[in-house]
Amino acid sequence: MSAAEDQILQLQAALDGELDAGGMLAFERACAADPQLAADFSRAKAVDAALRRAAPVLSAPPELRARMAALAAPPKRSWLEFAPRFSAAPWRAMAASLLVGVVAGAGALSLLPPASAPSPDQALVSAYVRTQIGGQSVDVVSSDRHVVKPWLAGRAPLAVAALDLASSGFPLAGGRVEVIDGKIVPTLVYRRREHRIDVTELPLSGHDNGILRLDSLEGYHLARWSDADRAYVAVTDLPSAELTDFVTLFRAGAKGEREDANKPKQ
Amino acid sequence: MTASEAARKRFQAVVLPHLDEAYSFAKGFSRNGADAEDIVQDACLRALAALETQQVEQPRAWLLTIVRNVALTFLTRKNAAASVDADIGDLERDGLLQAHEPSPDAEARLIAADETESLRRGLADLPLALRETLTLRAIHGLSYRDISTATEAPIGTVMSRLARARSALAALLGENK
Repeated sequence: MSAAEDQILQLQAALDGELDAGGMLAFERACAADPQLAADFSRAKAVDAALRRAAPVLSAPPELRARMAALAAPPKRSWLEFAPRFSAAPWRAMAASLLVGVVAGAGALSLLPPASAPSPDQALVSAYVRTQIGGQSVDVVSSDRHVVKPWLAGRAPLAVAALDLASSGFPLAGGRVEVIDGKIVPTLVYRRREHRIDVTELPLSGHDNGILRLDSLEGYHLARWSDADRAYVAVTDLPSAELTDFVTLFRAGAKGEREDANKPKQ
Repeated sequence: MTASEAARKRFQAVVLPHLDEAYSFAKGFSRNGADAEDIVQDACLRALAALETQQVEQPRAWLLTIVRNVALTFLTRKNAAASVDADIGDLERDGLLQAHEPSPDAEARLIAADETESLRRGLADLPLALRETLTLRAIHGLSYRDISTATEAPIGTVMSRLARARSALAALLGENK
């Protein structure tokens, strides 16, 4: 190996963090003594940084992510599994067997001890995955907050902050209701490119202290925060940096809306 | 077969956090989104099966290695021009390391936005062996040792492939000047 090649590999090892402390020190000394080497080194760093900008890590398509997350989900004991299968059964027999399945399933369920309820976070991620696979994430489809808000208000006891964040790159896609801990709660669905953020409002619990908490579950990112009278959980397949941006916008928006509502009417 | 609870837990901890990287790498490999999805799905199923018996210390490198192997099988089956050996043959003919001619004002020069596109194309046009090595290092941050394991190449080969890939891209940027 020639001296020139040796130097290229040395520079590259420094760039890639593959030199030990002593090697790095020696390389830095060599750079200080040789401006050309120092120039080559910063050039190499710039090329790598440009490459990362040119070929950034792509997001997996949401539908793929949902399918892969489903691999890790606990197997569902569906009553369909108990129903006898007739591969070429006429429709009437199929319907009858399904009915038997339903009845048998219901009977079996009533004998089982109640399973421990999933945490709200877990339930919301499951809802996210379920709606992603099912392809229907909203019960009311509208980007107009004046449509979404009354729709949700008519179905869930909590008042919903249906904010319009389209100008910030998070258009509203609609809303749906979820049942969490036996309570009906409103969920807003926002879009970002081909991704989705579901924001669910929950009754304020004793643990909520207004501080933003970020978490991840089954490969999805979660944010939980609260304001004076509500707690929120956002679930998304976006990177957590973008989720944080979203939460910042949403909180600012919700605060603005509350202040508007508290203003005396002219 | 249904995965055991332990395997599913490990899958959540090991595979799902790196799904974007797996997809990204598969897409760079296959140059095709639909193929990348098939590759990632197959890789995830293999990962889940392997996690029945295996603990993983380097999840990212481990998953990308599986993705790489699935992608290679996939592309060979697809009969694409994807033979790593053929690529390496080309490289041997080109000589070990290309001449390195730095420009004097290199350190001062900012890499402009319009060069992003030529870098992207340059990376896509690299022979597979160089492309996968550089991607694993510069985009996914794998160590030489992990790249050596993933690509089944000695560390010395990893280093020379990296140097060649980078020199090719640097030359490309130089041309646009």
